[in-house]
Amino acid sequence: MSELNEAPSPADEEEVWSWGAGTDGQLGTSKLQDEHLPQLLSLTSLPSISMLACGGAHVIALTSGGKVFTWGRGNSGQLGHGDNLNTSLPKPLSFFDGDYFISQASAGWSHSAFVSDSGSLFTCGNGSFGQLGHGDNISLTSPAKVSYFVDKSVKMVACGMRHSLVLFAGNQVCGFGSGKRGQLGVSSDRTKSVNLPCFVSGLEGVEVVRVAANGDHSAAISANGELFTWGRGFCGSPDVQTPQCLPSSQSFREVALGWNHALLLTFDGKVLKLGNTLDKQSEKQQLQEDSSETLLEKVIGFDGVEVLQIAAGAEHSAAVTESGEVQTWGWGEHGQLGHGDTNDQTNPQLVSLGSGDLQTKETNVYCGSGFTYVVRRKQQLSSSPTSS
Amino acid sequence: MSYDDVEIEDMEWNEEIQAYTYPCPCGDLFQITKEDLRLGEEIANCPSCSLCITVIYNMEDFQNDTKKNNEPKSRQAVAVA
Repeated sequence: MSELNEAPSPADEEEVWSWGAGTDGQLGTSKLQDEHLPQLLSLTSLPSISMLACGGAHVIALTSGGKVFTWGRGNSGQLGHGDNLNTSLPKPLSFFDGDYFISQASAGWSHSAFVSDSGSLFTCGNGSFGQLGHGDNISLTSPAKVSYFVDKSVKMVACGMRHSLVLFAGNQVCGFGSGKRGQLGVSSDRTKSVNLPCFVSGLEGVEVVRVAANGDHSAAISANGELFTWGRGFCGSPDVQTPQCLPSSQSFREVALGWNHALLLTFDGKVLKLGNTLDKQSEKQQLQEDSSETLLEKVIGFDGVEVLQIAAGAEHSAAVTESGEVQTWGWGEHGQLGHGDTNDQTNPQLVSLGSGDLQTKETNVYCGSGFTYVVRRKQQLSSSPTSS
Repeated sequence: MSYDDVEIEDMEWNEEIQAYTYPCPCGDLFQITKEDLRLGEEIANCPSCSLCITVIYNMEDFQNDTKKNNEPKSRQAVAVA
Protein backbone atom coordinates (compact mmCIF):
# COMPACT_ATOMS: atom_id res chain seq x y z
CA MET A 1 0.00 0.00 0.00
CA SER A 2 2.87 2.30 -0.74
CA GLU A 3 0.84 4.25 -3.27
CA LEU A 4 -1.66 5.61 -0.78
CA ASN A 5 -0.64 9.16 -1.43
CA GLU A 6 -0.93 9.00 -5.18
CA ALA A 7 -3.04 12.16 -5.26
CA PRO A 8 -3.31 14.13 -8.50
CA SER A 9 -1.26 17.29 -8.66
CA PRO A 10 -2.87 20.28 -6.95
CA ALA A 11 -3.24 22.05 -10.28
CA ASP A 12 -5.75 19.42 -11.34
CA GLU A 13 -9.42 20.04 -10.98
CA GLU A 14 -11.90 17.22 -10.97
CA GLU A 15 -15.43 17.64 -12.27
CA VAL A 16 -18.23 15.13 -11.74
CA TRP A 17 -21.34 15.44 -13.91
CA SER A 18 -24.53 13.36 -13.72
CA TRP A 19 -27.84 13.19 -15.60
CA GLY A 20 -30.82 10.91 -16.31
CA ALA A 21 -33.11 9.03 -13.90
CA GLY A 22 -32.68 10.42 -10.41
CA THR A 23 -35.66 9.63 -8.22
CA ASP A 24 -33.66 7.33 -5.93
CA GLY A 25 -30.86 9.81 -5.35
CA GLN A 26 -28.51 8.11 -7.82
CA LEU A 27 -27.48 11.42 -9.42
CA GLY A 28 -25.89 12.67 -6.20
CA THR A 29 -27.55 16.03 -6.62
CA SER A 30 -29.53 15.79 -3.33
CA LYS A 31 -32.64 16.34 -5.46
CA LEU A 32 -34.81 13.29 -6.10
CA GLN A 33 -35.66 14.04 -9.70
CA ASP A 34 -34.64 13.25 -13.27
CA GLU A 35 -32.21 15.63 -14.96
CA HIS A 36 -32.19 16.02 -18.75
CA LEU A 37 -29.00 18.07 -18.82
CA PRO A 38 -25.64 17.31 -17.16
CA GLN A 39 -25.49 18.55 -13.57
CA LEU A 40 -22.12 19.60 -12.20
CA LEU A 41 -21.91 18.13 -8.70
CA SER A 42 -20.26 19.89 -5.83
CA LEU A 43 -18.66 16.92 -4.14
CA THR A 44 -16.14 18.51 -1.85
CA SER A 45 -16.24 15.40 0.33
CA LEU A 46 -15.22 13.14 -2.54
CA PRO A 47 -11.57 13.59 -3.44
CA SER A 48 -9.81 12.21 -6.49
CA ILE A 49 -12.09 9.55 -7.97
CA SER A 50 -10.31 6.57 -9.51
CA MET A 51 -13.49 4.93 -10.80
CA LEU A 52 -17.27 4.85 -10.55
CA ALA A 53 -19.55 1.83 -10.77
CA CYS A 54 -23.20 2.51 -11.59
CA GLY A 55 -25.97 -0.06 -11.04
CA GLY A 56 -29.75 -0.17 -11.28
CA ALA A 57 -30.14 2.98 -9.19
CA HIS A 58 -27.00 3.21 -7.05
CA VAL A 59 -23.43 4.39 -7.46
CA ILE A 60 -20.10 3.28 -5.98
CA ALA A 61 -17.13 5.67 -6.13
CA LEU A 62 -13.57 4.63 -5.39
CA THR A 63 -10.96 7.23 -4.57
CA SER A 64 -7.31 7.05 -5.58
CA GLY A 65 -6.61 6.42 -1.90
CA GLY A 66 -8.69 3.23 -1.95
CA LYS A 67 -11.67 4.67 -0.07
CA VAL A 68 -15.29 3.87 -1.00
CA PHE A 69 -18.36 6.10 -1.21
CA THR A 70 -21.86 4.91 -2.15
CA TRP A 71 -25.20 6.61 -2.79
CA GLY A 72 -28.60 6.18 -4.47
CA ARG A 73 -31.05 3.36 -3.83
CA GLY A 74 -30.30 1.27 -0.78
CA ASN A 75 -33.44 -0.79 -0.25
CA SER A 76 -31.60 -4.11 -0.58
CA GLY A 77 -28.53 -3.07 1.40
CA GLN A 78 -26.54 -2.45 -1.79
CA LEU A 79 -24.99 0.74 -0.38
CA GLY A 80 -23.30 -1.30 2.38
CA HIS A 81 -24.02 1.15 5.19
CA GLY A 82 -25.70 -1.45 7.40
CA ASP A 83 -29.23 -0.32 6.58
CA ASN A 84 -31.80 -0.35 3.77
CA LEU A 85 -31.96 3.39 3.28
CA ASN A 86 -31.49 5.51 0.16
CA THR A 87 -28.99 8.32 0.32
CA SER A 88 -28.94 11.16 -2.19
CA LEU A 89 -25.38 12.34 -1.52
CA PRO A 90 -22.12 10.34 -1.55
CA LYS A 91 -21.65 8.67 1.82
CA PRO A 92 -18.33 7.19 2.95
CA LEU A 93 -18.38 3.42 3.40
CA SER A 94 -16.24 3.04 6.48
CA PHE A 95 -16.33 -0.78 6.52
CA PHE A 96 -12.97 -1.13 4.71
CA ASP A 97 -11.16 1.73 6.44
CA GLY A 98 -7.76 0.80 7.75
CA ASP A 99 -7.96 -2.81 6.60
CA TYR A 100 -8.48 -2.83 2.85
CA PHE A 101 -7.56 -0.64 -0.10
CA ILE A 102 -10.44 -1.08 -2.58
CA SER A 103 -9.13 -0.99 -6.14
CA GLN A 104 -12.13 -2.11 -8.23
CA ALA A 105 -15.89 -2.39 -7.77
CA SER A 106 -19.06 -3.23 -9.67
CA ALA A 107 -22.72 -2.37 -9.13
CA GLY A 108 -25.51 -4.73 -10.23
CA TRP A 109 -29.23 -4.09 -10.31
CA SER A 110 -29.42 -4.29 -6.51
CA HIS A 111 -26.11 -5.72 -5.32
CA SER A 112 -22.53 -4.48 -5.04
CA ALA A 113 -19.08 -6.08 -5.16
CA PHE A 114 -15.66 -4.74 -4.13
CA VAL A 115 -12.14 -6.00 -4.88
CA SER A 116 -9.22 -5.06 -2.64
CA ASP A 117 -5.66 -4.60 -3.89
CA SER A 118 -4.78 -7.66 -1.81
CA GLY A 119 -7.15 -9.76 -3.97
CA SER A 120 -10.12 -10.18 -1.64
CA LEU A 121 -13.74 -9.98 -2.81
CA PHE A 122 -16.58 -8.46 -0.76
CA THR A 123 -20.29 -8.36 -1.65
CA CYS A 124 -23.46 -6.83 -0.23
CA GLY A 125 -27.05 -6.07 -1.24
CA ASN A 126 -29.70 -8.35 -2.70
CA GLY A 127 -28.73 -12.00 -2.37
CA SER A 128 -32.01 -13.66 -3.27
CA PHE A 129 -30.59 -15.29 -6.40
CA GLY A 130 -27.26 -16.24 -4.80
CA GLN A 131 -25.52 -13.29 -6.47
CA LEU A 132 -23.49 -12.49 -3.34
CA GLY A 133 -21.70 -15.87 -3.52
CA HIS A 134 -21.84 -16.71 0.19
CA GLY A 135 -23.58 -20.08 -0.20
CA ASP A 136 -27.02 -18.78 0.73
CA ASN A 137 -29.72 -16.50 -0.67
CA ILE A 138 -29.59 -13.94 2.11
CA SER A 139 -29.32 -10.19 1.48
CA LEU A 140 -26.62 -8.27 3.34
CA THR A 141 -26.57 -4.61 4.32
CA SER A 142 -22.80 -4.55 4.99
CA PRO A 143 -20.03 -5.96 2.77
CA ALA A 144 -18.89 -9.49 3.63
CA LYS A 145 -15.78 -11.26 2.35
CA VAL A 146 -16.56 -14.09 -0.08
CA SER A 147 -14.76 -17.00 1.55
CA TYR A 148 -14.39 -19.02 -1.68
CA PHE A 149 -11.75 -16.51 -2.85
CA VAL A 150 -9.83 -16.27 0.44
CA ASP A 151 -6.80 -18.12 -0.96
CA LYS A 152 -7.25 -16.81 -4.52
CA SER A 153 -6.20 -13.46 -5.80
CA VAL A 154 -9.26 -11.71 -7.24
CA LYS A 155 -8.49 -9.26 -10.06
CA MET A 156 -11.91 -8.06 -11.20
CA VAL A 157 -15.63 -8.41 -10.50
CA ALA A 158 -18.62 -7.63 -12.76
CA CYS A 159 -22.24 -7.56 -11.58
CA GLY A 160 -25.29 -8.07 -13.81
CA MET A 161 -28.96 -7.82 -12.95
CA ARG A 162 -28.96 -10.95 -10.77
CA HIS A 163 -25.54 -12.51 -11.27
CA SER A 164 -21.84 -11.88 -10.67
CA LEU A 165 -18.64 -12.81 -12.54
CA VAL A 166 -15.21 -12.90 -10.92
CA LEU A 167 -11.81 -12.98 -12.65
CA PHE A 168 -8.99 -14.23 -10.45
CA ALA A 169 -5.34 -15.26 -10.63
CA GLY A 170 -4.56 -17.91 -13.20
CA ASN A 171 -6.98 -16.37 -15.71
CA GLN A 172 -9.88 -18.19 -14.12
CA VAL A 173 -13.46 -16.96 -14.18
CA CYS A 174 -16.26 -17.92 -11.79
CA GLY A 175 -19.94 -17.03 -11.86
CA PHE A 176 -22.76 -17.11 -9.29
CA GLY A 177 -26.33 -15.90 -8.97
CA SER A 178 -29.13 -16.36 -11.50
CA GLY A 179 -28.22 -18.52 -14.48
CA LYS A 180 -31.59 -18.84 -16.09
CA ARG A 181 -30.52 -17.26 -19.40
CA GLY A 182 -27.11 -18.93 -19.44
CA GLN A 183 -25.36 -15.88 -17.97
CA LEU A 184 -23.27 -17.94 -15.51
CA GLY A 185 -21.74 -19.99 -18.33
CA VAL A 186 -21.04 -22.83 -15.92
CA SER A 187 -22.71 -25.65 -17.81
CA SER A 188 -24.23 -26.41 -21.18
CA ASP A 189 -27.28 -27.56 -19.23
CA ARG A 190 -29.62 -24.85 -18.05
CA THR A 191 -28.72 -23.71 -14.56
CA LYS A 192 -31.38 -21.91 -12.58
CA SER A 193 -29.12 -20.32 -10.00
CA VAL A 194 -26.09 -21.06 -7.84
CA ASN A 195 -25.10 -19.31 -4.62
CA LEU A 196 -21.45 -20.41 -4.51
CA PRO A 197 -18.86 -19.53 -7.18
CA CYS A 198 -18.72 -22.06 -10.04
CA PHE A 199 -16.16 -22.16 -12.83
CA VAL A 200 -17.24 -20.70 -16.15
CA SER A 201 -16.63 -23.46 -18.69
CA GLY A 202 -15.07 -23.07 -22.10
CA LEU A 203 -12.50 -20.44 -21.14
CA GLU A 204 -9.74 -22.96 -20.35
CA GLY A 205 -6.51 -21.86 -21.96
CA VAL A 206 -7.85 -18.37 -22.65
CA GLU A 207 -5.95 -15.53 -21.03
CA VAL A 208 -8.93 -13.50 -19.81
CA VAL A 209 -8.03 -9.91 -18.99
CA ARG A 210 -11.47 -8.49 -18.23
CA VAL A 211 -15.04 -9.59 -17.58
CA ALA A 212 -18.31 -7.68 -18.02
CA ALA A 213 -21.91 -8.25 -16.96
CA ASN A 214 -25.22 -6.41 -17.23
CA GLY A 215 -28.84 -7.52 -17.46
CA ASP A 216 -28.68 -11.25 -18.24
CA HIS A 217 -25.56 -10.86 -20.41
CA SER A 218 -21.95 -11.84 -19.69
CA ALA A 219 -18.72 -11.23 -21.59
CA ALA A 220 -14.96 -11.67 -21.34
CA ILE A 221 -12.03 -10.27 -23.31
CA SER A 222 -8.76 -12.13 -23.81
CA ALA A 223 -5.25 -10.67 -23.87
CA ASN A 224 -5.13 -11.00 -27.64
CA GLY A 225 -8.41 -9.17 -28.13
CA GLU A 226 -10.93 -11.98 -28.56
CA LEU A 227 -14.44 -11.39 -27.26
CA PHE A 228 -16.48 -14.12 -25.60
CA THR A 229 -20.17 -13.69 -24.80
CA TRP A 230 -22.74 -15.85 -23.04
CA GLY A 231 -26.20 -15.50 -21.53
CA ARG A 232 -29.26 -13.92 -23.09
CA GLY A 233 -29.15 -13.92 -26.88
CA PHE A 234 -28.92 -10.65 -28.80
CA CYS A 235 -31.70 -9.61 -31.20
CA GLY A 236 -33.95 -12.49 -30.28
CA SER A 237 -31.35 -15.18 -31.01
CA PRO A 238 -31.27 -18.15 -28.59
CA ASP A 239 -29.62 -17.90 -25.17
CA VAL A 240 -26.00 -19.05 -25.02
CA GLN A 241 -25.18 -21.38 -22.10
CA THR A 242 -21.37 -21.28 -22.27
CA PRO A 243 -18.87 -18.66 -23.56
CA GLN A 244 -18.73 -18.35 -27.33
CA CYS A 245 -15.93 -16.55 -29.14
CA LEU A 246 -17.25 -13.88 -31.49
CA PRO A 247 -16.03 -14.62 -35.00
CA SER A 248 -14.36 -11.35 -36.03
CA SER A 249 -11.15 -10.13 -37.56
CA GLN A 250 -11.14 -7.20 -35.09
CA SER A 251 -9.23 -7.09 -31.81
CA PHE A 252 -11.22 -5.77 -28.86
CA ARG A 253 -9.88 -3.94 -25.84
CA GLU A 254 -13.15 -3.12 -24.08
CA VAL A 255 -16.72 -4.41 -23.90
CA ALA A 256 -19.71 -2.66 -22.30
CA LEU A 257 -22.97 -4.55 -21.89
CA GLY A 258 -26.55 -3.28 -21.74
CA TRP A 259 -29.72 -5.32 -21.28
CA ASN A 260 -30.14 -5.93 -25.02
CA HIS A 261 -26.91 -4.75 -26.58
CA ALA A 262 -23.13 -4.87 -26.31
CA LEU A 263 -20.69 -2.12 -27.26
CA LEU A 264 -17.22 -3.14 -28.35
CA LEU A 265 -14.13 -0.98 -28.59
CA THR A 266 -11.32 -2.13 -30.88
CA PHE A 267 -7.63 -1.53 -30.26
CA ASP A 268 -7.64 1.11 -32.99
CA GLY A 269 -10.47 3.06 -31.38
CA LYS A 270 -13.48 1.93 -33.42
CA VAL A 271 -16.87 1.23 -31.81
CA LEU A 272 -19.00 -1.74 -32.84
CA LYS A 273 -22.18 -3.14 -31.40
CA LEU A 274 -24.16 -6.32 -31.01
CA GLY A 275 -27.93 -6.14 -30.58
CA ASN A 276 -30.04 -3.03 -30.30
CA THR A 277 -31.31 -0.58 -27.72
CA LEU A 278 -34.92 0.55 -27.43
CA ASP A 279 -34.61 3.29 -30.05
CA LYS A 280 -34.42 0.65 -32.76
CA GLN A 281 -37.32 -1.63 -31.93
CA SER A 282 -38.55 -1.71 -35.52
CA GLU A 283 -35.18 -2.77 -36.82
CA LYS A 284 -34.97 -5.37 -34.08
CA GLN A 285 -38.13 -6.94 -35.41
CA GLN A 286 -36.67 -7.17 -38.90
CA LEU A 287 -33.41 -8.64 -37.69
CA GLN A 288 -35.21 -11.48 -35.98
CA GLU A 289 -36.17 -12.72 -39.40
CA ASP A 290 -32.62 -13.62 -40.34
CA SER A 291 -30.64 -13.85 -37.13
CA SER A 292 -28.39 -16.65 -38.31
CA GLU A 293 -25.38 -14.49 -39.00
CA THR A 294 -23.40 -12.44 -36.54
CA LEU A 295 -25.08 -9.13 -35.84
CA LEU A 296 -21.90 -7.15 -35.36
CA GLU A 297 -22.37 -3.64 -36.70
CA LYS A 298 -20.25 -0.52 -36.77
CA VAL A 299 -21.60 2.42 -34.78
CA ILE A 300 -22.10 5.27 -37.21
CA GLY A 301 -20.85 8.74 -36.40
CA PHE A 302 -17.25 8.30 -35.26
CA ASP A 303 -15.67 8.41 -38.72
CA GLY A 304 -12.04 9.30 -38.45
CA VAL A 305 -12.32 9.91 -34.72
CA GLU A 306 -10.67 7.57 -32.28
CA VAL A 307 -12.79 6.50 -29.31
CA LEU A 308 -10.98 6.05 -26.00
CA GLN A 309 -13.66 4.64 -23.75
CA ILE A 310 -17.20 3.21 -23.91
CA ALA A 311 -20.03 2.62 -21.43
CA ALA A 312 -23.51 1.11 -21.65
CA GLY A 313 -26.64 1.60 -19.58
CA ALA A 314 -29.60 -0.76 -19.82
CA GLU A 315 -30.79 0.84 -23.06
CA HIS A 316 -28.34 3.65 -23.80
CA SER A 317 -24.71 4.02 -24.80
CA ALA A 318 -21.89 6.49 -24.20
CA ALA A 319 -18.36 7.05 -25.51
CA VAL A 320 -15.41 9.37 -24.93
CA THR A 321 -13.50 10.45 -28.02
CA GLU A 322 -9.81 11.27 -28.36
CA SER A 323 -10.60 14.97 -28.00
CA GLY A 324 -12.33 14.35 -24.66
CA GLU A 325 -15.84 14.80 -26.02
CA VAL A 326 -18.66 12.72 -24.58
CA GLN A 327 -21.20 11.27 -27.03
CA THR A 328 -24.41 9.47 -26.07
CA TRP A 329 -27.13 7.60 -27.96
CA GLY A 330 -29.97 5.09 -27.46
CA TRP A 331 -33.02 5.38 -25.18
CA GLY A 332 -33.58 8.85 -23.74
CA GLU A 333 -36.90 8.83 -21.90
CA HIS A 334 -35.36 9.81 -18.54
CA GLY A 335 -32.89 12.29 -19.97
CA GLN A 336 -30.09 9.73 -19.70
CA LEU A 337 -28.56 11.03 -22.96
CA GLY A 338 -28.08 14.48 -21.42
CA HIS A 339 -29.24 16.42 -24.47
CA GLY A 340 -31.82 18.49 -22.60
CA ASP A 341 -34.78 16.43 -23.77
CA THR A 342 -36.25 12.93 -23.50
CA ASN A 343 -35.74 11.95 -27.12
CA ASP A 344 -34.11 8.73 -28.29
CA GLN A 345 -31.06 9.00 -30.55
CA THR A 346 -30.09 6.39 -33.11
CA ASN A 347 -26.58 7.76 -33.59
CA PRO A 348 -24.04 9.31 -31.17
CA GLN A 349 -24.70 12.95 -30.24
CA LEU A 350 -22.41 15.34 -28.39
CA VAL A 351 -23.16 16.09 -24.73
CA SER A 352 -22.44 19.66 -23.70
CA LEU A 353 -20.39 19.70 -20.50
CA GLY A 354 -19.67 23.40 -20.14
CA SER A 355 -16.43 24.96 -21.19
CA GLY A 356 -14.03 27.19 -19.33
CA ASP A 357 -10.38 27.94 -19.17
CA LEU A 358 -9.24 24.51 -18.16
CA GLN A 359 -7.58 21.91 -20.33
CA THR A 360 -9.05 18.44 -20.11
CA LYS A 361 -6.53 15.82 -19.12
CA GLU A 362 -8.80 12.83 -18.79
CA THR A 363 -12.50 12.08 -19.24
CA ASN A 364 -14.33 8.95 -18.17
CA VAL A 365 -17.99 8.07 -18.69
CA TYR A 366 -20.05 5.57 -16.67
CA CYS A 367 -23.65 4.40 -17.18
CA GLY A 368 -26.18 3.05 -14.71
CA SER A 369 -29.45 1.50 -15.88
CA GLY A 370 -31.12 4.85 -16.68
CA PHE A 371 -28.48 7.43 -15.81
CA THR A 372 -25.00 8.61 -16.77
CA TYR A 373 -21.91 10.03 -15.04
CA VAL A 374 -18.82 11.78 -16.36
CA VAL A 375 -15.65 12.32 -14.35
CA ARG A 376 -13.35 14.85 -15.97
CA ARG A 377 -9.91 15.80 -14.76
CA LYS A 378 -8.76 19.22 -15.91
CA GLN A 379 -5.52 21.07 -15.65
CA GLN A 380 -5.44 24.79 -15.12
CA LEU A 381 -3.81 26.58 -18.03
CA SER A 382 -0.74 28.43 -16.89
CA SER A 383 -1.76 31.53 -18.83
CA SER A 384 -5.17 31.89 -17.25
CA PRO A 385 -5.47 33.58 -13.90
CA THR A 386 -6.85 31.50 -11.07
CA SER A 387 -10.25 32.74 -10.07
CA SER A 388 -10.82 32.88 -6.36
CA MET B 1 -45.29 -2.36 -27.29
CA SER B 2 -44.04 -4.81 -24.70
CA TYR B 3 -40.39 -4.44 -23.71
CA ASP B 4 -39.98 -8.11 -22.82
CA ASP B 5 -41.80 -11.31 -21.90
CA VAL B 6 -41.15 -12.37 -18.31
CA GLU B 7 -42.27 -15.54 -16.54
CA ILE B 8 -44.06 -15.01 -13.24
CA GLU B 9 -41.47 -17.21 -11.51
CA ASP B 10 -38.80 -14.67 -12.44
CA MET B 11 -40.74 -11.84 -10.80
CA GLU B 12 -40.27 -11.00 -7.13
CA TRP B 13 -43.06 -10.51 -4.64
CA ASN B 14 -42.76 -7.06 -3.07
CA GLU B 15 -44.46 -6.93 0.32
CA GLU B 16 -44.27 -3.14 0.50
CA ILE B 17 -46.23 -2.43 -2.66
CA GLN B 18 -48.15 -5.75 -2.62
CA ALA B 19 -47.23 -6.58 -6.20
CA TYR B 20 -45.01 -8.83 -8.27
CA THR B 21 -42.11 -6.81 -9.66
CA TYR B 22 -39.36 -7.07 -12.27
CA PRO B 23 -36.51 -4.61 -12.99
CA CYS B 24 -37.27 -1.90 -15.56
CA PRO B 25 -34.34 -0.53 -17.59
CA CYS B 26 -35.16 2.96 -16.32
CA GLY B 27 -34.25 1.88 -12.78
CA ASP B 28 -37.77 1.50 -11.42
CA LEU B 29 -39.83 -1.72 -11.28
CA PHE B 30 -42.50 -3.21 -13.52
CA GLN B 31 -45.45 -4.07 -11.26
CA ILE B 32 -48.55 -6.26 -11.35
CA THR B 33 -50.89 -7.14 -8.46
CA LYS B 34 -52.41 -10.52 -7.67
CA GLU B 35 -55.81 -9.05 -8.39
CA ASP B 36 -54.63 -8.07 -11.87
CA LEU B 37 -53.37 -11.61 -12.46
CA ARG B 38 -56.59 -13.11 -11.15
CA LEU B 39 -58.49 -11.06 -13.71
CA GLY B 40 -56.26 -12.26 -16.51
CA GLU B 41 -54.23 -9.06 -16.94
CA GLU B 42 -50.85 -9.85 -18.44
CA ILE B 43 -49.28 -6.41 -18.78
CA ALA B 44 -47.06 -5.14 -15.95
CA ASN B 45 -46.42 -1.39 -16.12
CA CYS B 46 -43.58 0.73 -14.80
CA PRO B 47 -44.85 3.72 -12.78
CA SER B 48 -41.93 5.89 -13.94
CA CYS B 49 -41.84 5.40 -17.70
CA SER B 50 -43.74 4.34 -20.79
CA LEU B 51 -42.44 0.75 -20.83
CA CYS B 52 -44.35 -2.39 -19.92
CA ILE B 53 -43.70 -6.14 -19.96
CA THR B 54 -45.87 -9.13 -20.75
CA VAL B 55 -46.16 -11.51 -17.81
CA ILE B 56 -46.22 -15.21 -18.68
CA TYR B 57 -48.32 -17.09 -16.13
CA ASN B 58 -51.07 -19.61 -15.69
CA MET B 59 -54.25 -17.73 -14.84
CA GLU B 60 -55.71 -20.75 -13.04
CA ASP B 61 -52.95 -20.50 -10.45
CA PHE B 62 -54.46 -17.22 -9.30
CA GLN B 63 -58.14 -18.08 -9.60
CA ASN B 64 -58.38 -19.87 -6.25
CA ASP B 65 -55.95 -17.50 -4.65
CA THR B 66 -58.65 -15.20 -3.32
CA LYS B 67 -58.17 -12.97 -0.29
CA LYS B 68 -55.67 -15.10 1.58
CA ASN B 69 -52.14 -13.83 1.84
CA ASN B 70 -50.35 -16.88 0.46
CA GLU B 71 -48.23 -15.41 -2.33
CA PRO B 72 -45.30 -17.89 -2.35
CA LYS B 73 -47.73 -20.69 -3.21
CA SER B 74 -48.64 -19.10 -6.51
CA ARG B 75 -44.97 -18.78 -7.41
CA GLN B 76 -44.26 -22.48 -6.91
CA ALA B 77 -47.32 -23.49 -8.84
CA VAL B 78 -45.76 -22.25 -12.07
CA ALA B 79 -42.15 -23.17 -11.37
CA VAL B 80 -41.74 -25.51 -14.30
CA ALA B 81 -38.37 -24.20 -15.56
